[in-house]
Amino acid sequence: MATNLKPADVVVVGLGAAGGVAVLPLTRGGLKVVGLEAGAWMNPAKDFKADEIHNNVRGMITTGNKIRREAPTFRAGPNQPAQRGAPSPMMNAVGGTSVHYHAQSWRLKPWDFKTATEVKKRYGASYIPKGSTLEDWPIGWDDIEPFYDIAEREVGVSGKAGNIQGKLDREGNIFEGPRQREYPMPHLRTCDYLEHMKQAARSLGWNPFHSPAAINSVAYNGHGACGYHGYCDRGGCHLQAKNSTCFSTIPKALQTKNLTVTDRAQVTRIVVDSNGHVTGVQYIRESQEYFQPAKAVLVGSYTYENVRLLLLSKSKAYPDGLGNNHGQVGKHYFGHWDAQAGAGVTALFPMDLNVWYGAILSQGVVIDEWADDSFDHGGMGFIGGASMTVNTEKHPIAAAASNTFGQAPQWGSKWKRWIHQNAGRWVSAYLQANSFPYENTVLDLDPEARDPLGDPVIRVTSGPKDNERQACLYAQDKMEEWFKAAGAIAVTKGNPTGPRLSTHTYGGTRMGDNPETSVVNRWGFSHEAPNLGLLGGSVFGTSGARNPTLTIQALAWRTADHLVKNWKAIAG
Amino acid sequence: MPDEKPAGDLTRRTVIVTAAAAAFVPLSAIRSAAQTPAPQRVFSAEQKRTLEAFLDRLCPKDELGPGAVEIGAQDYIEVQLGDYLAPEKQTFLDGLAAVDAYARQSHGSPLADLSPEKRDQVLTDIDSGKAPQNARGFFNRARRLMLEGMFGDPHYGGNKNFAGWDLIGYPGPRLATGPEMQKMGAPIAPYHRSAWGNEHGGH
Repeated sequence: MATNLKPADVVVVGLGAAGGVAVLPLTRGGLKVVGLEAGAWMNPAKDFKADEIHNNVRGMITTGNKIRREAPTFRAGPNQPAQRGAPSPMMNAVGGTSVHYHAQSWRLKPWDFKTATEVKKRYGASYIPKGSTLEDWPIGWDDIEPFYDIAEREVGVSGKAGNIQGKLDREGNIFEGPRQREYPMPHLRTCDYLEHMKQAARSLGWNPFHSPAAINSVAYNGHGACGYHGYCDRGGCHLQAKNSTCFSTIPKALQTKNLTVTDRAQVTRIVVDSNGHVTGVQYIRESQEYFQPAKAVLVGSYTYENVRLLLLSKSKAYPDGLGNNHGQVGKHYFGHWDAQAGAGVTALFPMDLNVWYGAILSQGVVIDEWADDSFDHGGMGFIGGASMTVNTEKHPIAAAASNTFGQAPQWGSKWKRWIHQNAGRWVSAYLQANSFPYENTVLDLDPEARDPLGDPVIRVTSGPKDNERQACLYAQDKMEEWFKAAGAIAVTKGNPTGPRLSTHTYGGTRMGDNPETSVVNRWGFSHEAPNLGLLGGSVFGTSGARNPTLTIQALAWRTADHLVKNWKAIAG
Repeated sequence: MPDEKPAGDLTRRTVIVTAAAAAFVPLSAIRSAAQTPAPQRVFSAEQKRTLEAFLDRLCPKDELGPGAVEIGAQDYIEVQLGDYLAPEKQTFLDGLAAVDAYARQSHGSPLADLSPEKRDQVLTDIDSGKAPQNARGFFNRARRLMLEGMFGDPHYGGNKNFAGWDLIGYPGPRLATGPEMQKMGAPIAPYHRSAWGNEHGGH
């Protein structure tokens, strides 16, 4: 039998990038919050190593055993068998994936929130991708900008503004939406290679700028600045200069004394009463079952697990899963078309670049000319495009595992000579394309694959898309142009075939005004269960051409803030 | 009830690390505590000879310096097959046997008894798919593990004397770096330390 615990005002499921932010406005608003996290606290001095085998080859920071056994299955169409075995993009730890992420902290564009309307206006309805379920977000730029501003300050983001209240600055991103003020910290340090790439971009008439990052360029939040040691990718920060929520917003929330963190707690069901109101959650910790009553529940456990938890939480009020009486949970899901989905571009230079050290994408320079609607798509037959980032941080095994650009075999003395000269001379660019929801791409519960508790895991069904592929191919050509302008002697381009399991996933509990096409309302609360909120990429309707985390955090803050301000109406 | 622990307690070690990072103090004065575990006996003497004969052709010792065997890739593989990679130990040993069987079949001798030129022929056959499928699977996996053993942290049993990192110019895992370590074309002094040594906080 489950042990009944003392009631909380709010339970937050998952203390990662999203839940780890939401706890701050909740606790500052005086609510008593219990944060349930399936993973444990990590110890920066012991767990975070400048070690490629530890971080990258074995994924010791990114995936615990629990999450490996809960990884979704994948199939490329409804008539194919769904397969297991892909590495899990999820993470269990206090701080979640924000422990090991690249800390890219982007605002989406005003266009991303109103893509359907803007595309029809500029190009006509025929430009809406065929088979897509694209619709405008119910919120726009003015709704979210104040929360981007808060998230940048509370989490701690470094960067250079390109548009402050309409005033453009070419040192920043001139294509960004108007912001009320500058970033709280200057952008991270530049380096020779990045300056070289900036110069090449300017020779093409483009506007390069340094990427925005939740990494301290100067002391901030009580932590020092980045050490640029080059083990940021899939690693935690030994200096706590990366503003993972376990080093930024969660400690601040603990200071209020209104937050109880329960780590290693695996939430199995959300419980409702006969009226369909959420009454709390059931969880397992050290083989014991607990029931944590709460007046409101916010779920921020990654797109796959958000959807899974709703679909598993069946009741009389919600026979097909919590909040799913309109059959929308799991619909409008999509992964990001990025370098991991085949959209990467790799270049070989005739000199040592010395980008071994650095801070992955966050010590990076970006071109945004070929993303979103920054250029005229008339006659092109697709919408969107991709942001293109060049960056530092190179690990020795990966450096030596490179293909040889057709210049040498893959073994023997000739190979050895090739890597001796070139392991430090090749780099990749990271491309991220605007991606959209489609009818052929959904999440549901796998009919066969189960986790160790006997619960089904998520099944990803992802059909083909043409628009995103065309956008990637177009941007890859631009990236090749950029590398060649910088003196690259060889360039190879990936084959963009689309994401499988992804670290950037969207939809499944889409935000909208219409319960027939969405799961949560404009504030992030269920259309059906009024005291249930959803946090994370699962509420997105479009991806943007950039990393999702800051938008996730701005929306998490906004949803939590809405709960505080409307406490009696929502939880009363 | 579950316990509650605040994050970000500054331990003495973290303070030292942060201070070092802020001042870009070279830490080379501190003794490295890199530990190379003694190989567990996963391979028989014969299997080890075969593996070394194979790795020696994938990355030979030559005028550029030590090859895979001198850098200790086989030690990495042996240590790890006895530890983290134990689940694939039998597959690996079967693949190794398949390679040796192919050498005997095509050249009438165990791989380790063939001349370097003949071993290259055997590897070329395997690489181009002429040999049986399990030899090809072994080729890919052994090459990947060789890369890990040559260019991974010496903590795991390979990369002897940091010779792998020196071969490709990787300057070593520092705790923090200054702008002078990101100059294009400018050599960076090698930092021969394991990420598991004292200066990185130890184990």
